Amino acid sequence: MGGLIGVWAVELGLFVLVVAALLAERPIAVGLTVAAIALLLVAVQTSVRVWGWMATSFRTHRAAALGGAATLALALPFFLRASPYWTFVATMALLYVTIGQGLNLQMGTAGVINLAGAAFAGLGGYTVGLLTVRLGFAPWLAFAIGPLVAMVVGALLFIPILKVRGHYLALVTIAFGFIFNILMNNLEFTGGPQGIKNIPTLRLFGHAFTTAPTLFGVTLPSHANFYYAALAMAALVTWLAWRLYNSWVGLTLNTLRDDEIAAKCSGVSVTRHKLLAFSIGNLFVGLAGGFYAVMVGFVSPPDFDFGYSLVMLSVIILGGLDSIPGVVLGACLLIPLPERFRMLHEYRLLLYGAAIVLMLLFRPRGLWPAGVRRYGLGRPAGSFGAAGTRAEGVGVSR
Amino acid sequence: MSLFATRGLTVRFGGLTAVDHVDAGVDEGETLGLIGPNGSGKTTFFNAVTGLVPAEGDVAFRGGALRGLEPHAICRRGIARTFQASRLCLGLSVFDNVLIGMHTHVVSGVWDALFRRKRMISEVRDGLKQAAHLLGLFNPDLIDRGFDPVGALPQIDRRRVEICRALAARPRLLLLDEPSAGMNPEETGELMKDLQIVREEMPGLSIIIIEHDMFVIEGVSQRVVAFNYGRKIAEGTFADVARNEEVRDAYLGRGSTPEGAPRA
Repeated sequence: MGGLIGVWAVELGLFVLVVAALLAERPIAVGLTVAAIALLLVAVQTSVRVWGWMATSFRTHRAAALGGAATLALALPFFLRASPYWTFVATMALLYVTIGQGLNLQMGTAGVINLAGAAFAGLGGYTVGLLTVRLGFAPWLAFAIGPLVAMVVGALLFIPILKVRGHYLALVTIAFGFIFNILMNNLEFTGGPQGIKNIPTLRLFGHAFTTAPTLFGVTLPSHANFYYAALAMAALVTWLAWRLYNSWVGLTLNTLRDDEIAAKCSGVSVTRHKLLAFSIGNLFVGLAGGFYAVMVGFVSPPDFDFGYSLVMLSVIILGGLDSIPGVVLGACLLIPLPERFRMLHEYRLLLYGAAIVLMLLFRPRGLWPAGVRRYGLGRPAGSFGAAGTRAEGVGVSR
Repeated sequence: MSLFATRGLTVRFGGLTAVDHVDAGVDEGETLGLIGPNGSGKTTFFNAVTGLVPAEGDVAFRGGALRGLEPHAICRRGIARTFQASRLCLGLSVFDNVLIGMHTHVVSGVWDALFRRKRMISEVRDGLKQAAHLLGLFNPDLIDRGFDPVGALPQIDRRRVEICRALAARPRLLLLDEPSAGMNPEETGELMKDLQIVREEMPGLSIIIIEHDMFVIEGVSQRVVAFNYGRKIAEGTFADVARNEEVRDAYLGRGSTPEGAPRA
């Protein structure tokens, strides 16, 4: 019971601090709240006792922890209603959760390096833009096709990728990112540097996403529509990623990442599984890119340049490679924070770089490291080591 | 008819012939010891058989040819192996490292992982049971540590996990590449007991074992093949091979006496 209240207290405390940090106006208040969040993180990271308590309480009360987090995430727009801007930033963080799960599947779980995340998001975004504006497709249909295009182009790129490994693989994807950007800048039908304007917005049951919604008698900024849609998308993608991770597929991809030769000799087809991870990952990334297009109503080459690929990389390294909750934490920290410090905006990439170096030095496994895979079986039931109970032993609780 | 046989198996690295026209085979349920000085081509022989390096010549296994197949396809046919330098995934759990061995038998795929969870989970439960059974053959403590990372285990237990991973593939032929490497005499003794357990539990399983420790070879193998400079120089019972002059020359240098039998 104490654990349960503790879990909710931690979540609520963090929520209050984050909202306060976002809405604070005087620099001193901003500094204090951000410092409090940082202190909390450092305490959790450095104290074995605190970390142990958090890990056990959150694992034993997983349903309650998820419910609490969901409630707070649903409530967030009500607290940010005075500021459409922060609602927008929160939505961007959710898009990065979606992107992060895709990239994490590729790089964290399967070890297939992809430094062209922005280009795959761009493929999703541009597909939506071109299909709706140039060809008159219905927005929802275009939104569904976007990620598929990202996936298919990724699969084509995979042919040269298969022939190279390690650093060369990184170079191939970087090159692809630049080629994508140069093409978008120079092709006539993609609008060149002007990009594609006036991408129609989504409508759900006759409700256009650009009209301000009224929920429980409270009128929220129109960005709240996108916030809730992005929340649903991020939750869905995270749920799918969690299921993939906690399955034979996740295990196979992990083995492939850790030791390709051992995987091969255990019967794993390297090509097939790398392609699988790369495709599903790009599907998620492209989905977020398409969402961005319908949300902003405009796509142009600088929205998808190499710098954003690095931001995406930073998100998963900060959270913890191969860690599903880590991706969520990484995105929720790394996306709003620089927006809060706009005066440092020029140095944003520098700060990301510094963050990555610091993480690799002191917390190479991220803020929320991946745990041991338990396949969603919960904790194993007690002593299945005792002779005789061995066979039933792995019969796991629940 | 033998379960597995190579004919004229040859591996060349540029000008070097690492494995030179080797004919070797193993019968069902038989354990074959593979010995030879460092660099005599034993591991390369394994690598050629499992498809990791390209080779010339023929490999027949259960009546089919293996040449030109990819490593994962060869595993699927029923050949599993361990490695001289451990190739476990140290960050993954003990169970995970054994479960991956079952890869060729797993039927649930991406769709089951995402939307048919029950089917996937029941297969995982079965896999965990098998893994616990295999681990329990060697060391029941390993089952309790099943969800610990393999990196936390001592050398001998890591080796056991690696053997379990190979056995989890339910192979017909098991290739063990110097399992006692890096072990002290006491651990080597335990390892020998483990290998006896494997032979008792799986009487139909054929094994080829590379070893430098002649006590292990003498203790577990029914037949021995000796390599030198990539060629097969002797074949027969342990006693025959130990007396063979060419083998003695390879290990001890020319002119050694029968008393100076190869001992490591």
